[in-house]
Amino acid sequence: MASEPTTDGVASLPADYDLLHKLIPRLDRHLIFPLLEFSADRLVGESGEVKDKEKAREITQAKYALLNKTNMIDYVANLYCELEGLDQPPAEFAEKRQKVLSQLDKFEQESSKIMELLDREDVVNNLRSDKIANLEFLKREHDVTIEMVNALYDFALLQYSCGNYNDASDLLYRFRVLSTDNDKVSSATWGRLACEILTANWESAMEELQKVREGIDSKLSQNPLAQLHHRNRLMHWALFPLFNFDQAREPLLNLFFNADYTNSFQADSAWLLRYLCVAVITNRRRAKNPGVHQKQMKDIARIVRQEAYEYQDPITRFVHALYIDVRFQEAADQLVLAQEVMRNDFFLLAHVDEFVDSARHLLFESYCKVCIRFTLEDIGNKLGLKGNEAVKWIVNAIRDTRVDAKINYKEGTVYINHQSTSAYQQVIERTKGSFFRSAVLGAAIARN
Amino acid sequence: MSRFFRGGDESSTESSSEEEELYSTSEEEEEEEQEEQESSEEEDEEEEESDDEAGPQKKGLSRFLVDQASSESEESDVEGATKVKSAKDKRFDELEATITAIQNGQKINDWGSIANEFDKLNRQVIKLQDGGKAPKSYIKCIAELEDFMNETLAKQKVTPKKMNATNARGLNAVKQRIKKNNKEYQAQIDAFRKDSDAFMESDEEELPLPKATKVRFQEPVSGEPEDEDDKGFATVPKRGGKAITYSPESIQKHLRAIIESRGRKSTDRLEQIRVMEELNKVAETPYLKIRVLQTLVSARFDLGTGTASSMPLEHWKAAEKELAALLALLETHKDHVVIENAEEWDDDEKTPVLGPDDKYIKVPGSVVSYIERLDDELTRSLQSIDPHTSEYIERLTDETSLYTIILQGLLYYETIRKDASLEVPQESLNRIIQRRLDHVYFKPAQVVKILEENAWKQISNALDSAITPRSYSSEAGKLIHVLCDYLFEHSEGIIRARAMLCQIYFLALHEEYDRARDMMLTSHLQESIPNFDVATQILYNRTLVQVGLCAFRKGLIYDAQNTLQDICGSGRQKELLAQGVMMQRYGQVTPEQERLEKQRQLPFHMHINLELLECVYLTCSMLLEIPLLAQIGSSPDIKKRIISKTYRRMLEYHERQIFTGPPENTRDHVMQASKALAAGEWKKAITFIHSIKIWDLMPGAEGIKAMLAKQIQEEGLRTYLFTYAPFYDTLSIETLSSMFELDSRKVAEVVDKMANHEELAAAHDPVTETVIFRKGVELSRLQSLALALSDKASNLIETNERTLEMRTQGSANAFSRKDGRHHGGARGGGQRGGRGGARTGGNTQRQAGGTQFTGGALGAAVRA
Repeated sequence: MASEPTTDGVASLPADYDLLHKLIPRLDRHLIFPLLEFSADRLVGESGEVKDKEKAREITQAKYALLNKTNMIDYVANLYCELEGLDQPPAEFAEKRQKVLSQLDKFEQESSKIMELLDREDVVNNLRSDKIANLEFLKREHDVTIEMVNALYDFALLQYSCGNYNDASDLLYRFRVLSTDNDKVSSATWGRLACEILTANWESAMEELQKVREGIDSKLSQNPLAQLHHRNRLMHWALFPLFNFDQAREPLLNLFFNADYTNSFQADSAWLLRYLCVAVITNRRRAKNPGVHQKQMKDIARIVRQEAYEYQDPITRFVHALYIDVRFQEAADQLVLAQEVMRNDFFLLAHVDEFVDSARHLLFESYCKVCIRFTLEDIGNKLGLKGNEAVKWIVNAIRDTRVDAKINYKEGTVYINHQSTSAYQQVIERTKGSFFRSAVLGAAIARN
Repeated sequence: MSRFFRGGDESSTESSSEEEELYSTSEEEEEEEQEEQESSEEEDEEEEESDDEAGPQKKGLSRFLVDQASSESEESDVEGATKVKSAKDKRFDELEATITAIQNGQKINDWGSIANEFDKLNRQVIKLQDGGKAPKSYIKCIAELEDFMNETLAKQKVTPKKMNATNARGLNAVKQRIKKNNKEYQAQIDAFRKDSDAFMESDEEELPLPKATKVRFQEPVSGEPEDEDDKGFATVPKRGGKAITYSPESIQKHLRAIIESRGRKSTDRLEQIRVMEELNKVAETPYLKIRVLQTLVSARFDLGTGTASSMPLEHWKAAEKELAALLALLETHKDHVVIENAEEWDDDEKTPVLGPDDKYIKVPGSVVSYIERLDDELTRSLQSIDPHTSEYIERLTDETSLYTIILQGLLYYETIRKDASLEVPQESLNRIIQRRLDHVYFKPAQVVKILEENAWKQISNALDSAITPRSYSSEAGKLIHVLCDYLFEHSEGIIRARAMLCQIYFLALHEEYDRARDMMLTSHLQESIPNFDVATQILYNRTLVQVGLCAFRKGLIYDAQNTLQDICGSGRQKELLAQGVMMQRYGQVTPEQERLEKQRQLPFHMHINLELLECVYLTCSMLLEIPLLAQIGSSPDIKKRIISKTYRRMLEYHERQIFTGPPENTRDHVMQASKALAAGEWKKAITFIHSIKIWDLMPGAEGIKAMLAKQIQEEGLRTYLFTYAPFYDTLSIETLSSMFELDSRKVAEVVDKMANHEELAAAHDPVTETVIFRKGVELSRLQSLALALSDKASNLIETNERTLEMRTQGSANAFSRKDGRHHGGARGGGQRGGRGGARTGGNTQRQAGGTQFTGGALGAAVRA
């Protein structure tokens, strides 16, 4: 029954399309940080001037509030100074710092033994896939207690909190090998995912993501609400690899289009639709199988239509205009707005050009399908290209796609030749497989 | 027993089995009811038979007897003798009557009737046995009968004359049975044989029988039965009033007596109610008052037992007042609580006092059950009143007071829930909230607001609800939301589902289509609804319909049609929405089912207007079907896609008519509009649709009409393009725009859309602003037949494969390849260009875009 309040789709200012507030509750403290950093950067003009002082201060404040609870004391202290206009951070920060350092030492000692054990070749070779047996073995041979294993977890937590993501990831990995506590293992998996994302170690991030997904699908099946929240959280986290790691594109799109996940984000976080739209549209060239891409486009159009009342931004409106209303002019208008929105989005900034190019292709394809002739000027306007640039682009587009079109330069028009399959060909197509199928059928009957 | 008595008896049996007739509460009918309960139906039949055979000569006597029988038992009731005794007396009378009949039979040697009466006698006597001893008269009778039988048998041997067949059979039957039977009573029979007079006299006084006989001899003299009745009526209040003086001390005793007699056959409930009303006046302490009120309210509810009749109006009102008094009492005396899990107080002499350790005086009882019952009774009475009378409206005003009671009850439960030591189950609170919800969910916000305000006015200002604060009363939406959310969080199963449905219903009623649809989809109720009870299924159907209507008001024709399809397409709207009993065609419904169905009918004020519903459904179907019909044109597989069967059938019927007059009803209007639309006369279609009067019932009728006009314009354009495409090479958008009075941009959009979805083999030329129709897509008859044939061939193969698969249950691995081939085939189909391809393209597009909740809880489930 969870339904988010409807977002204001009428607003046209790019700031209103800022999804930061929506994304934050579903991300980890450390994952939010790059987003805030990005927002702060957007405020810095090209000449290095800060455009909106108040806003900038607000962001710094947010950063401070965000990180205050972490153990990245030095950075927090700097932020504090910036906020309060001090030169020297107050003493309490030094105190805190000391405390954290001592804690680090303490945990290091506590876990040193087990770390050492796990580094030893002979010990590691004796470990099997059975966790309980492993624990038994370690207990028997090396006096490892469950407390020591849990110390690894706590240590990892502290490291993570201090921003030492690599170490934390390593510790969590070791912890997971040994621990039998299901809850802790699953949060360790989330933790590792965060670490891998923060260290931009995408390949292992994808592995972790897969593990988290399995955990959600299997362990939470008794609790639909928690499952929904976890799925949404996972999808939000997945945005990092989705737009930063090309190989992740395909599996992640499959994840998003999985019926369960689609329902989840439709129910609770419709704004993910923006990212999904961009991902699908920019995937046009990369998709190995054009059929799959077409299907994804169809799916995305359907979802956009369903969610239109709940979430709209120029990107979804572009899809809506192009595939549902078939209004090319509107689609073209939205495309212009979409670029602006994307430039202000942490995830999408790097993909603006790619998106625009793909979107133009889609627009062009649809336009060709509907129209028999159009002027170069007209299409140029729609695609946002001028004069020769437009011609060049169209020639390339015609070459790339299978549209049968000719440019009449004198008239300044493009002719599209629509071809339809003849009835005879259709009959042939339809009856093509019949013989083979009948043969298979006959064989099957004979066998039974 | 005589015809006279049987007559009365029978009618009462009938009336109770049909349970339709309303009982008035006159003494006589009460009496009849008791009689009826005692004699089983089987018995009745036999008696009737025996009556026929016994012949007319017995009539005089038996009538005499029966008069006594009934008048006597009335008398005994009236006298205030203990109930048990009176019932027994009556049985004795019956016994006597049977014995006399046997004696009569003996006199005329009618063994047939003797055998019947004897059987009856034996049945009766079982009830009368008292410590293993049968009544004297019975012993006497069977002893005499045995003698007589032996005598007859002896005679039979001597005389050669044959008995007639019935007699002989009767004699044999008696002979066999009497031997077995008499063994049981051998001792008594022997005693009787020894000295018959002494036996009869010996302890006659102990038995109630003589008393009965005494009366019997007096009464006939005193007058006719009618007089008797009058007398009976007169005596009741007199004796009741005189006999008992009520004092606070005796209240508990009275109550106990009343409670104990509750549910007994011969209880005079009205009398009890009068007694309790008196008791209520004298009750002093809150404890006693609570007890009296509780019992009084239950007694009033008992008046309404029987499945069809509702409780009398004045008693309902009284019960409502008393319930309000009870709640007010509980409100002022916070140390008294009525809860389900309290223990009974056994000591009639004292009333419980607040001990030093106790916080409360607990009285057993369930407030929520009283409230539920009161609610049910109101519904029942509303069901039985003709909704078009002012009586109905008057009755409906009682809903306000009922709602106040529900609210008070809710407050009460909230208060006692606060104290964990009372262990009030969550369920009670849920039930009462459910009731409250049931009264508001189907009402428009303004009405709910008034209802709420009136209810809160009755409640003292100091009180406020934690769940639904007083301030919520002005915002119906918030109120419903809070109630539903509460139920959703604190309950499960049916109540939870109902809460959700109520909320969806309310949202749909208030034009929040998207939220309603989303909730409907996320609830996943369409999958589980067949497992719920019928009432919830009805609510589901109602909600579905309301969502559909809401979609229509929003102009979402496709969604509206899709949602309404299951309910309206079935042709059983009445039944599915519980707004009227269907005419039963084959009489396959038992009276029992019919009665149940009647019971679950909704009161009129909750109805969804069926005519409006039909109108909306047909209009939606028209807007979807007419372009579709034009699109598929004359192609051979015309029957392939049907959106609404009902609509198609009506359209066909309409077209078959030789002469069509001006439209009279909604259906005619829509049908004629359809015809006009199909012919491209969109203006005429709009006129027809607009002249349907029922639109005025919808809020914002003007807006809806404008929306419909716009839709008709667009669909008219589409229909036109589909129909006349073969006759054009090019068409100027300007022309189309002037033809349909649409903006040329809009026309271009429609054309683009159709071309993009491959519905129309045409392209748009933006340079000259024309629509250019592609050539060579129009198929010849031979070509389209060939296509149809190839389609059918591939269907055949598919069906064969499926059949084999089903047979082999997937063990045939030969089909591991099948899928690959299958896809190939499908792709082939998808590539069909031109008109053929257009069909599939349009199809998938449409279906993909639609909302996917369908599947109303259909009839089989409703009837089950």
